[in-house]
Amino acid sequence: MITFGKGNLRIPKWSKRVFMVAGGCTPFRKYYPEYKLEELVMMAYKMMLEENNLKLSPLEIKDSINFAVYGEFADHFQDQLLCEAKIHDYLGLDPLYNVGIKTGGATGGASVLMGAQAIASGYANCCLVAGWERMDEVDTRTGNFYISTAACKDFETRMGRIYSSYYAPMANRFAWAYDLNDSVRAKIAIKNRHYATMNPNAQQPGDHTEEEVLKSRMSAYPLRFLECCAMTAGAASVLLCDEEMAYKLSDHPVEVFIAGGTHTLRVADRRPMDIPLLPNEKPGMYKEFLAKNPRWPGFESFLAARFAAYLTYRMAGIQEPIEELDLVELHDAFTISDVQTYGDIGLRPYGQEVDYVTSGDAYFGGKCPSNLSGGLLGTMHAVGATGIWQSAECLWQVQNKYDQFHGDAKWWKRAGKKKPKNWTSLQVKDAKQALWVSHAGVGSHVTVGILRKAW
Amino acid sequence: MAENYEKAIKTKYIGKPLTLHDEKPAWVVDSPRAMSHIHTYGLLTPFFQGLTQGKLMATKCTNPKCPHPSVWLPPRADCPDCYERMKWVKVPSQGTIYTFTLVDYAGIGVEMKTPYWQIDVAIKGVDTIFKGYLESGKPEIGMKVKAKFRTENPTHTILDVCWVPA
Ligand SMILES: [Zn+2]
Repeated sequence: MITFGKGNLRIPKWSKRVFMVAGGCTPFRKYYPEYKLEELVMMAYKMMLEENNLKLSPLEIKDSINFAVYGEFADHFQDQLLCEAKIHDYLGLDPLYNVGIKTGGATGGASVLMGAQAIASGYANCCLVAGWERMDEVDTRTGNFYISTAACKDFETRMGRIYSSYYAPMANRFAWAYDLNDSVRAKIAIKNRHYATMNPNAQQPGDHTEEEVLKSRMSAYPLRFLECCAMTAGAASVLLCDEEMAYKLSDHPVEVFIAGGTHTLRVADRRPMDIPLLPNEKPGMYKEFLAKNPRWPGFESFLAARFAAYLTYRMAGIQEPIEELDLVELHDAFTISDVQTYGDIGLRPYGQEVDYVTSGDAYFGGKCPSNLSGGLLGTMHAVGATGIWQSAECLWQVQNKYDQFHGDAKWWKRAGKKKPKNWTSLQVKDAKQALWVSHAGVGSHVTVGILRKAW
Repeated sequence: MAENYEKAIKTKYIGKPLTLHDEKPAWVVDSPRAMSHIHTYGLLTPFFQGLTQGKLMATKCTNPKCPHPSVWLPPRADCPDCYERMKWVKVPSQGTIYTFTLVDYAGIGVEMKTPYWQIDVAIKGVDTIFKGYLESGKPEIGMKVKAKFRTENPTHTILDVCWVPA
């Protein structure tokens, strides 16, 4: 729809408050022959149970769980239908009900949303949310093709058979409309891949120069290989609770707000419409902007992300995102998708997205740093796990546990790596509130979640 | 058939053994796949037929009560705004490039030789943008292009139309 009825814009309201208390993940790799999928999920799940300073023992927490939500992007990759049943059994959680969630790249965020709904409704008071993807059972180009079947198979898939070729036209249009140059995109790749060097679980960490990024192999013009995320094998999990259970399990629970938006699978089908305004935006402020770029959201922006932010900010009472959020984790599957989102979630007004990076706000030490985890570019994109892992990284920041989960030598050892000598903490001082974006397709499904310190 | 339920039988393995892809650190087996799907174009069949006849067929909502009557290319049979069945209309075979990319590294099975220019075309009177590829030339935003149809030896896919500079 391009105009809304009153009911369409209703702000979600939990019946009960929702909290997150723990997170876990595997190290992320391109190829994981050592472990079967269920063994990887067990690794993430046990880390969640054992390493988050919870006040009950792992088996007591197991005894407390009463619902599970599982995220998996593509049966193509797992080559196994009903993976959820295998995993759930492997975690010893039968006969508690579980559901599988499948919304492309936003699967992880949607899984947290569904788990939150189970808590908010009272169906459950302790809910496991876990996700996975094993993209290592096919060669890379077959993997590229599988992912491209998340473009429209009748009208788009044949035009590239690789997802970068659906983002690259957006990059060229964005550059034309808003004066985005190669250098800014390269800076994002450099920043996120650098932050990944501090993350023991990162698949493709690295300190790169702008020249290296811009001279790396072209995937689809203007997007180079170093501007594209990894294909990953790995898993992640978080634990959601109602208020009573949250404080029983943890002295440091965080409150969860999350909502989603959607838009057409094909970018090209997006008809121009009015911009739904965020709480910090004033009616009429986009008059000049729309005179120049009348086709909003066009190829430049994501209505799904804007709509999700529209709802979540109002759910959480956020007035001025850049001032109130201490950090964000964005869906940097490609450098361009990262840039596009800055306007959608109001880190900058539309048309001024680039300034979020060039001003320094996006960096550690800046006003609202993004992707200190290393993001999808540097750390992982095991698709069904991604939005769950992002939320765990946000949780640890708000709990002041960045060092506990990134600096402790045991995690580097678990990943089969040595902790780098130049390791430095990326803990945001006094972080109280973090946002994460989980994003599918070329913006077909997006969730925006906020975690807020609750102790 | 009934007989087999009552007799002891000996079962023979008739599969093809898997080869070991890796032996360390764990056994990894090769698991080859070859399969074919069928796929219907359903109510969009006139669009794909149209390509083989040298025309671009879009759908148009003609319901006078529709809140946002639009012309759709890619077509869709039912209007998402008023839920009425739409009408087929022929749209111009010319347009301007809205955006583009050069596909250099493509996924497996790609049917055009890489690199090639993929383009998104804005067509007058059409409310959506239409993705395709540029058969010759170099694209820029705003450049005029015209459709070229594969009326001989059609592929029966969206690749039966491409674009050339106008
Ligand atoms: Zn209509």
